[in-house]
Amino acid sequence: MTPPDLALSADIGTAEKRSASGPARSRQVAVAMLRVAAPVASVLLLWYCSIWFSGLPAFVIPRPERVLEVLWVDHAFILEHLWATLQVAAIGFLWANVAGIGLAVLFDLLPPTRHLLLPAAITLRNVPYIALISVLMLAFGDSILSKTSIVALSGFFPVLVNTMAGLRAADEVQLDRMRILNASWWQTFSQVRLPYALPSIVAAQEITGSGAIIVAIAAEWMISSTGLGYVINNAMQNYRGDKVYAVALLATALSFLIFSFVHSLGKRLDWRTGYQQRG
Amino acid sequence: MAATISIRNVSRRFGETWALRPVDLEVAAGEFIALVGPSGCGKTTLLRIVADLVEPSSGEVRIGPDTARRARQERLLGLVSQRPAVLPWKRAIDDVRFTQRIAGKVGFDPGKVLREFGLEGHEAKRARQLSGGMLQRVNIASAIAHDPAVLLMDEPFAALDEMKREEIGEWFDRELAMRPKTVLFVTHHIDEAVMLADRLLVFSPAPGRVLEVVDVPVPRPRDVSFRQDPRFVAIAAHVRGLLMHRQAA
Repeated sequence: MTPPDLALSADIGTAEKRSASGPARSRQVAVAMLRVAAPVASVLLLWYCSIWFSGLPAFVIPRPERVLEVLWVDHAFILEHLWATLQVAAIGFLWANVAGIGLAVLFDLLPPTRHLLLPAAITLRNVPYIALISVLMLAFGDSILSKTSIVALSGFFPVLVNTMAGLRAADEVQLDRMRILNASWWQTFSQVRLPYALPSIVAAQEITGSGAIIVAIAAEWMISSTGLGYVINNAMQNYRGDKVYAVALLATALSFLIFSFVHSLGKRLDWRTGYQQRG
Repeated sequence: MAATISIRNVSRRFGETWALRPVDLEVAAGEFIALVGPSGCGKTTLLRIVADLVEPSSGEVRIGPDTARRARQERLLGLVSQRPAVLPWKRAIDDVRFTQRIAGKVGFDPGKVLREFGLEGHEAKRARQLSGGMLQRVNIASAIAHDPAVLLMDEPFAALDEMKREEIGEWFDRELAMRPKTVLFVTHHIDEAVMLADRLLVFSPAPGRVLEVVDVPVPRPRDVSFRQDPRFVAIAAHVRGLLMHRQAA
Protein backbone atom coordinates (compact mmCIF):
# COMPACT_ATOMS: atom_id res chain seq x y z
CA MET A 1 0.00 0.00 0.00
CA THR A 2 1.43 3.39 -0.98
CA PRO A 3 1.44 6.34 1.46
CA PRO A 4 -1.56 8.10 -0.17
CA ASP A 5 -3.50 4.82 0.05
CA LEU A 6 -2.66 4.63 3.71
CA ALA A 7 -3.77 8.22 4.27
CA LEU A 8 -7.03 7.53 2.42
CA SER A 9 -7.77 4.40 4.39
CA ALA A 10 -6.97 6.26 7.62
CA ASP A 11 -9.46 8.98 6.61
CA ILE A 12 -12.11 6.39 5.82
CA GLY A 13 -11.44 4.69 9.14
CA THR A 14 -11.82 7.97 11.03
CA ALA A 15 -15.01 8.80 9.18
CA GLU A 16 -16.43 5.34 9.92
CA LYS A 17 -15.46 5.71 13.56
CA ARG A 18 -17.11 9.15 13.72
CA SER A 19 -20.37 7.97 12.12
CA ALA A 20 -20.41 4.82 14.25
CA SER A 21 -19.63 6.62 17.48
CA GLY A 22 -23.26 7.70 18.13
CA PRO A 23 -24.97 4.30 17.77
CA ALA A 24 -21.97 2.58 19.38
CA ARG A 25 -22.25 4.80 22.46
CA SER A 26 -26.02 4.14 22.66
CA ARG A 27 -25.33 0.41 22.42
CA GLN A 28 -22.78 0.65 25.25
CA VAL A 29 -25.27 2.55 27.45
CA ALA A 30 -27.96 -0.04 26.67
CA VAL A 31 -25.63 -2.93 27.58
CA ALA A 32 -24.60 -1.21 30.82
CA MET A 33 -28.26 -0.63 31.78
CA LEU A 34 -29.11 -4.24 30.94
CA ARG A 35 -26.28 -5.44 33.19
CA VAL A 36 -27.85 -3.59 36.12
CA ALA A 37 -31.47 -4.26 35.22
CA ALA A 38 -31.17 -7.99 34.50
CA PRO A 39 -30.11 -9.11 38.00
CA VAL A 40 -32.64 -6.76 39.64
CA ALA A 41 -35.40 -8.10 37.41
CA SER A 42 -34.46 -11.73 38.07
CA VAL A 43 -34.40 -11.17 41.86
CA LEU A 44 -37.81 -9.43 41.71
CA LEU A 45 -39.23 -12.24 39.58
CA LEU A 46 -37.99 -14.85 42.08
CA TRP A 47 -39.35 -12.80 44.95
CA TYR A 48 -42.85 -12.47 43.46
CA CYS A 49 -42.88 -16.14 42.46
CA SER A 50 -42.04 -17.06 46.07
CA ILE A 51 -44.93 -14.93 47.33
CA TRP A 52 -47.41 -16.36 44.80
CA PHE A 53 -46.46 -20.03 44.97
CA SER A 54 -45.38 -20.52 48.60
CA GLY A 55 -48.55 -19.28 50.22
CA LEU A 56 -46.53 -17.96 53.17
CA PRO A 57 -47.91 -15.00 55.14
CA ALA A 58 -46.77 -11.42 54.47
CA PHE A 59 -44.68 -11.21 57.65
CA VAL A 60 -42.54 -14.11 56.31
CA ILE A 61 -42.36 -12.90 52.69
CA PRO A 62 -43.48 -9.30 52.33
CA ARG A 63 -43.94 -7.71 48.94
CA PRO A 64 -40.93 -5.74 47.61
CA GLU A 65 -42.88 -2.48 47.55
CA ARG A 66 -43.70 -2.92 51.25
CA VAL A 67 -39.99 -3.40 52.02
CA LEU A 68 -39.13 -0.19 50.16
CA GLU A 69 -41.88 1.61 52.03
CA VAL A 70 -40.40 0.47 55.39
CA LEU A 71 -36.99 1.69 54.25
CA TRP A 72 -38.48 5.08 53.43
CA VAL A 73 -40.71 5.46 56.51
CA ASP A 74 -38.16 4.18 59.05
CA HIS A 75 -35.10 5.64 57.35
CA ALA A 76 -34.05 7.80 60.34
CA PHE A 77 -34.18 4.83 62.73
CA ILE A 78 -32.44 2.49 60.26
CA LEU A 79 -29.74 5.03 59.39
CA GLU A 80 -28.95 5.53 63.07
CA HIS A 81 -28.37 1.80 63.49
CA LEU A 82 -26.63 1.54 60.13
CA TRP A 83 -24.06 4.03 61.41
CA ALA A 84 -23.43 1.81 64.46
CA THR A 85 -22.98 -1.24 62.22
CA LEU A 86 -20.64 0.62 59.88
CA GLN A 87 -18.46 1.62 62.84
CA VAL A 88 -18.20 -1.99 64.04
CA ALA A 89 -17.50 -3.25 60.51
CA ALA A 90 -14.89 -0.58 59.74
CA ILE A 91 -12.95 -0.96 63.01
CA GLY A 92 -13.11 -4.76 62.79
CA PHE A 93 -11.98 -4.65 59.17
CA LEU A 94 -9.06 -2.42 60.14
CA TRP A 95 -8.04 -4.78 62.95
CA ALA A 96 -8.32 -7.78 60.64
CA ASN A 97 -5.91 -6.11 58.23
CA VAL A 98 -3.47 -4.95 60.86
CA ALA A 99 -3.36 -8.47 62.33
CA GLY A 100 -3.37 -10.36 59.00
CA ILE A 101 -0.88 -8.20 57.10
CA GLY A 102 1.20 -7.57 60.22
CA LEU A 103 1.59 -11.30 60.95
CA ALA A 104 2.41 -12.10 57.30
CA VAL A 105 5.11 -9.40 57.28
CA LEU A 106 6.48 -10.68 60.58
CA PHE A 107 6.67 -14.23 59.14
CA ASP A 108 8.59 -12.86 56.15
CA LEU A 109 10.96 -10.84 58.33
CA LEU A 110 11.50 -13.52 60.99
CA PRO A 111 10.64 -16.94 59.47
CA PRO A 112 10.85 -18.85 62.82
CA THR A 113 7.87 -16.83 64.11
CA ARG A 114 5.80 -18.55 61.44
CA HIS A 115 6.24 -21.93 63.14
CA LEU A 116 5.45 -20.31 66.47
CA LEU A 117 2.38 -18.25 65.58
CA LEU A 118 0.78 -19.79 62.48
CA PRO A 119 -0.52 -22.91 64.33
CA ALA A 120 -2.12 -20.58 66.89
CA ALA A 121 -3.75 -18.57 64.09
CA ILE A 122 -5.03 -21.76 62.43
CA THR A 123 -6.38 -23.03 65.76
CA LEU A 124 -8.14 -19.73 66.38
CA ARG A 125 -9.64 -19.95 62.91
CA ASN A 126 -11.08 -23.40 63.66
CA VAL A 127 -12.62 -22.61 67.06
CA PRO A 128 -16.43 -22.37 66.58
CA TYR A 129 -17.40 -18.69 66.34
CA ILE A 130 -20.27 -19.18 68.78
CA ALA A 131 -17.75 -20.19 71.46
CA LEU A 132 -15.52 -17.20 70.64
CA ILE A 133 -18.47 -14.83 70.74
CA SER A 134 -19.56 -16.24 74.10
CA VAL A 135 -16.09 -15.73 75.57
CA LEU A 136 -15.86 -12.19 74.15
CA MET A 137 -19.33 -11.42 75.46
CA LEU A 138 -18.30 -12.63 78.94
CA ALA A 139 -15.07 -10.63 78.75
CA PHE A 140 -16.27 -7.34 77.29
CA GLY A 141 -20.08 -7.45 77.42
CA ASP A 142 -22.14 -5.51 74.86
CA SER A 143 -19.33 -3.18 73.86
CA ILE A 144 -17.75 -2.06 70.61
CA LEU A 145 -14.65 -4.03 71.63
CA SER A 146 -16.48 -7.36 71.69
CA LYS A 147 -18.23 -6.75 68.36
CA THR A 148 -15.16 -5.44 66.52
CA SER A 149 -13.14 -8.37 67.90
CA ILE A 150 -15.62 -10.77 66.33
CA VAL A 151 -15.37 -8.98 62.95
CA ALA A 152 -11.57 -8.93 63.19
CA LEU A 153 -11.36 -12.61 64.12
CA SER A 154 -13.54 -13.62 61.18
CA GLY A 155 -11.62 -11.45 58.72
CA PHE A 156 -7.96 -11.69 59.65
CA PHE A 157 -7.36 -15.24 58.46
CA PRO A 158 -8.12 -14.67 54.73
CA VAL A 159 -5.93 -11.55 54.88
CA LEU A 160 -3.09 -13.48 56.57
CA VAL A 161 -3.21 -16.42 54.15
CA ASN A 162 -3.51 -14.26 51.03
CA THR A 163 -0.75 -11.87 52.13
CA MET A 164 1.56 -14.79 52.93
CA ALA A 165 0.86 -16.35 49.53
CA GLY A 166 1.34 -12.98 47.81
CA LEU A 167 4.66 -12.30 49.52
CA ARG A 168 5.86 -15.75 48.44
CA ALA A 169 4.71 -15.13 44.86
CA ALA A 170 7.48 -12.64 44.10
CA ASP A 171 9.39 -13.54 40.95
CA GLU A 172 12.62 -15.44 41.78
CA VAL A 173 14.41 -13.53 39.01
CA GLN A 174 13.57 -10.25 40.74
CA LEU A 175 14.66 -11.63 44.11
CA ASP A 176 18.00 -12.75 42.59
CA ARG A 177 18.41 -9.23 41.25
CA MET A 178 17.89 -7.79 44.73
CA ARG A 179 20.31 -10.31 46.28
CA ILE A 180 23.01 -9.54 43.72
CA LEU A 181 22.58 -5.83 44.54
CA ASN A 182 22.88 -6.68 48.25
CA ALA A 183 19.50 -5.02 48.89
CA SER A 184 18.27 -4.75 52.47
CA TRP A 185 15.22 -6.69 53.70
CA TRP A 186 13.18 -3.49 53.61
CA GLN A 187 14.24 -2.66 50.03
CA THR A 188 13.37 -6.17 48.84
CA PHE A 189 10.10 -6.13 50.76
CA SER A 190 8.90 -2.68 49.72
CA GLN A 191 10.12 -2.73 46.13
CA VAL A 192 9.52 -6.35 45.07
CA ARG A 193 7.67 -8.55 47.57
CA LEU A 194 4.91 -6.09 48.48
CA PRO A 195 4.06 -5.00 44.91
CA TYR A 196 3.90 -8.67 43.89
CA ALA A 197 1.66 -9.38 46.92
CA LEU A 198 -0.74 -6.48 46.26
CA PRO A 199 -3.16 -8.38 43.98
CA SER A 200 -3.47 -11.14 46.61
CA ILE A 201 -3.92 -8.64 49.44
CA VAL A 202 -6.65 -6.83 47.50
CA ALA A 203 -8.35 -10.16 46.71
CA ALA A 204 -8.48 -10.81 50.48
CA GLN A 205 -10.12 -7.39 50.99
CA GLU A 206 -12.94 -8.43 48.66
CA ILE A 207 -13.76 -11.24 51.12
CA THR A 208 -12.97 -9.42 54.38
CA GLY A 209 -14.44 -6.04 53.34
CA SER A 210 -17.84 -7.29 52.24
CA GLY A 211 -17.88 -9.96 54.97
CA ALA A 212 -17.25 -7.35 57.68
CA ILE A 213 -20.79 -5.94 57.28
CA ILE A 214 -22.39 -9.38 57.45
CA VAL A 215 -20.34 -10.48 60.49
CA ALA A 216 -20.96 -7.14 62.26
CA ILE A 217 -24.72 -7.65 61.79
CA ALA A 218 -24.45 -11.23 63.07
CA ALA A 219 -22.51 -10.06 66.15
CA GLU A 220 -25.07 -7.32 66.84
CA TRP A 221 -27.91 -9.81 66.37
CA MET A 222 -26.45 -11.93 69.16
CA ILE A 223 -25.08 -9.48 71.72
CA SER A 224 -25.98 -5.89 70.91
CA SER A 225 -28.63 -3.28 71.59
CA THR A 226 -27.54 -1.19 68.61
CA GLY A 227 -26.86 -1.74 64.91
CA LEU A 228 -28.69 -3.45 62.06
CA GLY A 229 -28.32 -6.84 63.77
CA TYR A 230 -30.24 -5.52 66.72
CA VAL A 231 -32.90 -4.08 64.36
CA ILE A 232 -33.36 -7.51 62.76
CA ASN A 233 -33.60 -9.21 66.14
CA ASN A 234 -36.11 -6.68 67.38
CA ALA A 235 -38.15 -6.87 64.19
CA MET A 236 -38.30 -10.67 64.39
CA GLN A 237 -39.60 -10.58 67.92
CA ASN A 238 -42.37 -8.25 66.70
CA TYR A 239 -43.19 -10.33 63.60
CA ARG A 240 -41.97 -7.47 61.37
CA GLY A 241 -40.68 -9.46 58.47
CA ASP A 242 -40.87 -6.37 56.28
CA LYS A 243 -38.30 -4.65 58.51
CA VAL A 244 -36.04 -7.71 58.47
CA TYR A 245 -36.16 -7.69 54.68
CA ALA A 246 -35.51 -3.94 54.58
CA VAL A 247 -32.36 -4.33 56.69
CA ALA A 248 -31.28 -7.39 54.68
CA LEU A 249 -31.73 -5.43 51.46
CA LEU A 250 -29.66 -2.55 52.80
CA ALA A 251 -26.92 -4.84 54.13
CA THR A 252 -26.74 -6.75 50.84
CA ALA A 253 -26.49 -3.51 48.88
CA LEU A 254 -23.74 -2.28 51.21
CA SER A 255 -21.74 -5.51 50.96
CA PHE A 256 -22.11 -5.43 47.20
CA LEU A 257 -20.96 -1.80 47.07
CA ILE A 258 -17.92 -2.53 49.23
CA PHE A 259 -17.07 -5.58 47.12
CA SER A 260 -17.38 -3.56 43.89
CA PHE A 261 -15.30 -0.70 45.30
CA VAL A 262 -12.51 -3.01 46.50
CA HIS A 263 -12.66 -4.96 43.24
CA SER A 264 -12.25 -1.85 41.10
CA LEU A 265 -9.52 -0.53 43.43
CA GLY A 266 -7.79 -3.90 43.09
CA LYS A 267 -7.87 -3.63 39.33
CA ARG A 268 -6.12 -0.26 39.54
CA LEU A 269 -3.50 -1.57 41.95
CA ASP A 270 -2.91 -4.78 40.01
CA TRP A 271 0.27 -4.32 37.97
CA ARG A 272 -0.60 -7.53 36.08
CA THR A 273 -3.50 -5.79 34.30
CA GLY A 274 -2.55 -5.93 30.65
CA TYR A 275 0.88 -7.33 31.50
CA GLN A 276 2.07 -10.27 29.46
CA GLN A 277 5.08 -12.24 30.61
CA ARG A 278 7.52 -12.67 27.79
CA GLY A 279 9.29 -15.97 27.44
CA MET B 1 36.41 -1.49 35.14
CA ALA B 2 36.76 -5.27 35.13
CA ALA B 3 38.03 -7.77 37.69
CA THR B 4 39.74 -11.15 37.67
CA ILE B 5 37.83 -14.24 38.75
CA SER B 6 39.56 -17.12 40.44
CA ILE B 7 37.62 -20.38 40.80
CA ARG B 8 39.51 -22.95 42.86
CA ASN B 9 38.31 -26.50 43.35
CA VAL B 10 34.68 -25.34 43.40
CA SER B 11 32.08 -28.10 43.54
CA ARG B 12 28.47 -28.50 44.59
CA ARG B 13 26.62 -31.56 45.85
CA PHE B 14 22.95 -31.88 46.73
CA GLY B 15 22.97 -34.78 49.20
CA GLU B 16 24.63 -37.67 47.40
CA THR B 17 24.16 -36.10 43.97
CA TRP B 18 26.88 -34.09 42.31
CA ALA B 19 25.55 -30.97 40.62
CA LEU B 20 29.06 -29.84 39.77
CA ARG B 21 32.35 -31.73 39.97
CA PRO B 22 35.36 -29.70 41.18
CA VAL B 23 36.22 -26.87 38.77
CA ASP B 24 39.35 -24.71 38.59
CA LEU B 25 39.47 -21.63 36.40
CA GLU B 26 41.40 -18.38 36.29
CA VAL B 27 39.70 -15.56 34.37
CA ALA B 28 41.59 -12.42 33.40
CA ALA B 29 40.06 -8.97 33.85
CA GLY B 30 37.90 -8.15 30.84
CA GLU B 31 37.86 -11.72 29.59
CA PHE B 32 34.65 -13.28 28.20
CA ILE B 33 34.13 -16.89 29.24
CA ALA B 34 31.27 -18.97 27.84
CA LEU B 35 30.07 -21.99 29.80
CA VAL B 36 28.75 -24.54 27.30
CA GLY B 37 27.19 -27.92 27.92
CA PRO B 38 24.00 -29.97 28.00
CA SER B 39 21.15 -29.24 30.41
CA GLY B 40 21.82 -30.15 34.03
CA CYS B 41 25.62 -30.17 33.66
CA GLY B 42 26.16 -27.54 36.36
CA LYS B 43 26.79 -24.39 34.27
CA THR B 44 24.13 -22.37 36.04
CA THR B 45 25.19 -23.79 39.41
CA LEU B 46 28.74 -22.55 38.81
CA LEU B 47 27.41 -19.14 37.74
CA ARG B 48 25.26 -18.92 40.88
CA ILE B 49 28.20 -19.91 43.08
CA VAL B 50 30.24 -17.07 41.55
CA ALA B 51 27.23 -14.78 42.15
CA ASP B 52 27.15 -15.89 45.82
CA LEU B 53 23.58 -17.07 45.33
CA VAL B 54 24.56 -20.70 46.00
CA GLU B 55 27.10 -21.96 48.54
CA PRO B 56 29.79 -24.25 47.12
CA SER B 57 30.28 -27.64 48.79
CA SER B 58 34.01 -27.21 48.40
CA GLY B 59 36.51 -24.65 47.15
CA GLU B 60 36.31 -20.90 46.89
CA VAL B 61 35.69 -18.09 44.40
CA ARG B 62 37.64 -14.85 44.42
CA ILE B 63 36.65 -11.73 42.49
CA GLY B 64 39.85 -9.70 42.37
CA PRO B 65 41.15 -9.88 45.94
CA ASP B 66 37.65 -10.37 47.45
CA THR B 67 35.57 -13.43 48.19
CA ALA B 68 32.39 -13.80 46.12
CA ARG B 69 30.34 -12.67 49.15
CA ARG B 70 32.44 -9.58 49.66
CA ALA B 71 32.25 -8.78 45.92
CA ARG B 72 28.45 -9.09 46.04
CA GLN B 73 28.26 -6.92 49.15
CA GLU B 74 30.48 -4.35 47.39
CA ARG B 75 28.06 -4.47 44.41
CA LEU B 76 30.81 -5.60 42.03
CA LEU B 77 28.52 -8.14 40.33
CA GLY B 78 25.79 -7.81 37.71
CA LEU B 79 23.34 -10.58 36.84
CA VAL B 80 21.42 -11.08 33.61
CA SER B 81 18.89 -13.93 33.67
CA GLN B 82 17.14 -15.68 30.82
CA ARG B 83 13.85 -14.14 31.96
CA PRO B 84 14.22 -10.36 32.14
CA ALA B 85 14.28 -9.01 35.70
CA VAL B 86 12.69 -5.73 34.59
CA LEU B 87 10.02 -4.77 37.14
CA PRO B 88 6.72 -4.90 35.21
CA TRP B 89 5.27 -1.82 36.90
CA LYS B 90 8.28 0.41 36.18
CA ARG B 91 9.17 2.36 33.05
CA ALA B 92 12.39 1.25 31.34
CA ILE B 93 14.36 4.28 32.50
CA ASP B 94 13.05 3.96 36.06
CA ASP B 95 14.08 0.32 36.14
CA VAL B 96 17.65 1.30 35.23
CA ARG B 97 17.58 4.04 37.89
CA PHE B 98 16.20 1.49 40.36
CA THR B 99 19.38 -0.61 40.08
CA GLN B 100 21.47 2.48 40.75
CA ARG B 101 19.34 3.46 43.74
CA ILE B 102 19.48 0.02 45.34
CA ALA B 103 23.20 -0.36 44.63
CA GLY B 104 23.90 3.17 45.82
CA LYS B 105 26.08 3.65 42.74
CA VAL B 106 25.51 5.64 39.58
CA GLY B 107 27.56 3.88 36.93
CA PHE B 108 26.11 5.63 33.88
CA ASP B 109 23.50 8.17 32.91
CA PRO B 110 20.42 5.92 32.45
CA GLY B 111 19.01 7.95 29.56
CA LYS B 112 22.33 7.89 27.73
CA VAL B 113 22.74 4.14 28.24
CA LEU B 114 19.25 3.42 26.94
CA ARG B 115 19.89 5.63 23.90
CA GLU B 116 23.16 3.82 23.25
CA PHE B 117 21.31 0.53 23.62
CA GLY B 118 19.03 1.59 20.75
CA LEU B 119 16.09 2.34 23.02
CA GLU B 120 15.64 6.02 22.25
CA GLY B 121 11.94 6.85 22.38
CA HIS B 122 11.21 3.74 24.46
CA GLU B 123 12.55 5.03 27.80
CA ALA B 124 9.07 5.66 29.22
CA LYS B 125 7.64 2.30 28.16
CA ARG B 126 6.89 -0.53 30.55
CA ALA B 127 7.89 -4.17 30.08
CA ARG B 128 4.61 -5.15 28.39
CA GLN B 129 5.07 -2.44 25.79
CA LEU B 130 8.53 -3.62 24.71
CA SER B 131 9.46 -6.40 22.29
CA GLY B 132 11.48 -9.38 23.55
CA GLY B 133 14.73 -7.96 22.15
CA MET B 134 14.09 -4.49 23.61
CA LEU B 135 13.18 -5.97 26.97
CA GLN B 136 16.43 -7.94 27.09
CA ARG B 137 18.35 -4.73 26.26
CA VAL B 138 16.65 -2.96 29.17
CA ASN B 139 17.48 -5.99 31.31
CA ILE B 140 21.17 -5.73 30.40
CA ALA B 141 21.13 -1.93 30.86
CA SER B 142 19.67 -2.43 34.35
CA ALA B 143 22.23 -5.13 35.16
CA ILE B 144 25.17 -2.87 34.27
CA ALA B 145 23.66 0.41 35.51
CA HIS B 146 25.82 0.37 38.65
CA ASP B 147 28.92 -0.42 36.56
CA PRO B 148 29.72 -3.88 37.98
CA ALA B 149 33.19 -5.31 37.40
CA VAL B 150 31.81 -8.78 36.61
CA LEU B 151 28.76 -9.59 34.54
CA LEU B 152 27.14 -13.00 35.07
CA MET B 153 24.76 -14.00 32.28
CA ASP B 154 22.52 -17.06 32.38
CA GLU B 155 21.28 -17.83 28.86
CA PRO B 156 20.32 -14.20 28.36
CA PHE B 157 19.34 -14.55 24.70
CA ALA B 158 17.69 -17.99 24.89
CA ALA B 159 14.15 -16.62 24.62
CA LEU B 160 14.91 -14.72 21.41
CA ASP B 161 14.57 -16.07 17.89
CA GLU B 162 17.69 -16.85 15.85
CA MET B 163 17.84 -13.52 13.99
CA LYS B 164 17.26 -11.43 17.08
CA ARG B 165 19.74 -13.51 19.04
CA GLU B 166 22.51 -12.88 16.49
CA GLU B 167 21.65 -9.20 16.24
CA ILE B 168 21.63 -8.61 20.01
CA GLY B 169 24.78 -10.73 20.43
CA GLU B 170 26.72 -8.53 18.02
CA TRP B 171 25.36 -5.41 19.65
CA PHE B 172 26.35 -6.71 23.10
CA ASP B 173 29.89 -7.48 21.87
CA ARG B 174 30.26 -3.87 20.69
CA GLU B 175 28.87 -2.58 24.00
CA LEU B 176 31.44 -4.57 25.92
CA ALA B 177 34.20 -2.96 23.88
CA MET B 178 32.99 0.42 25.20
CA ARG B 179 32.44 -0.76 28.77
CA PRO B 180 34.84 -3.63 29.43
CA LYS B 181 33.68 -6.21 31.95
CA THR B 182 34.67 -9.70 32.90
CA VAL B 183 31.84 -11.91 31.67
CA LEU B 184 30.69 -15.43 32.56
CA PHE B 185 28.10 -16.41 29.97
CA VAL B 186 26.01 -19.59 30.20
CA THR B 187 24.62 -20.85 26.91
CA HIS B 188 23.48 -24.00 25.10
CA HIS B 189 24.22 -22.32 21.82
CA ILE B 190 27.68 -23.29 20.51
CA ASP B 191 27.81 -20.74 17.65
CA GLU B 192 26.82 -17.93 20.01
CA ALA B 193 29.53 -18.97 22.47
CA VAL B 194 32.22 -19.09 19.77
CA MET B 195 31.08 -15.75 18.36
CA LEU B 196 31.21 -13.92 21.70
CA ALA B 197 33.73 -15.61 23.99
CA ASP B 198 37.50 -15.53 24.44
CA ARG B 199 37.37 -19.00 25.93
CA LEU B 200 34.75 -21.74 26.15
CA LEU B 201 34.41 -23.98 29.19
CA VAL B 202 32.89 -27.16 27.78
CA PHE B 203 31.03 -29.25 30.36
CA SER B 204 30.24 -32.97 30.29
CA PRO B 205 26.65 -34.17 30.86
CA ALA B 206 25.58 -34.45 34.54
CA PRO B 207 27.35 -34.80 36.87
CA GLY B 208 29.10 -31.84 35.30
CA ARG B 209 32.83 -31.54 34.99
CA VAL B 210 34.93 -29.47 32.63
CA LEU B 211 35.86 -31.49 29.55
CA GLU B 212 38.04 -28.90 27.91
CA VAL B 213 38.78 -25.19 27.88
CA VAL B 214 38.69 -24.08 24.25
CA ASP B 215 40.39 -20.84 23.16
CA VAL B 216 38.93 -18.55 20.50
CA PRO B 217 42.08 -16.71 19.43
CA VAL B 218 40.36 -13.85 17.57
CA PRO B 219 40.13 -10.34 19.04
CA ARG B 220 36.73 -8.96 20.10
CA PRO B 221 34.43 -7.34 19.06
CA ARG B 222 33.96 -9.66 16.14
CA ASP B 223 32.27 -8.87 12.88
CA VAL B 224 29.38 -10.95 11.55
CA SER B 225 31.79 -12.20 8.85
CA PHE B 226 33.58 -14.20 11.58
CA ARG B 227 30.81 -16.78 11.25
CA GLN B 228 32.20 -17.68 7.82
CA ASP B 229 35.79 -17.74 9.09
CA PRO B 230 37.39 -21.22 8.95
CA ARG B 231 38.57 -20.77 12.55
CA PHE B 232 34.96 -20.20 13.70
CA VAL B 233 33.78 -23.27 11.80
CA ALA B 234 36.65 -25.39 13.15
CA ILE B 235 36.17 -24.33 16.80
CA ALA B 236 32.38 -24.77 16.65
CA ALA B 237 32.84 -28.22 15.07
CA HIS B 238 35.39 -29.18 17.71
CA VAL B 239 33.07 -28.14 20.59
CA ARG B 240 30.14 -29.88 18.94
CA GLY B 241 32.26 -33.00 18.59
CA LEU B 242 33.26 -32.87 22.24
CA LEU B 243 29.64 -32.63 23.39
CA MET B 244 28.27 -35.21 20.96
CA HIS B 245 31.04 -37.66 21.78
CA ARG B 246 30.36 -37.35 25.50
CA GLN B 247 26.63 -37.65 25.08
CA ALA B 248 27.04 -40.74 22.90
CA ALA B 249 29.46 -42.22 25.47
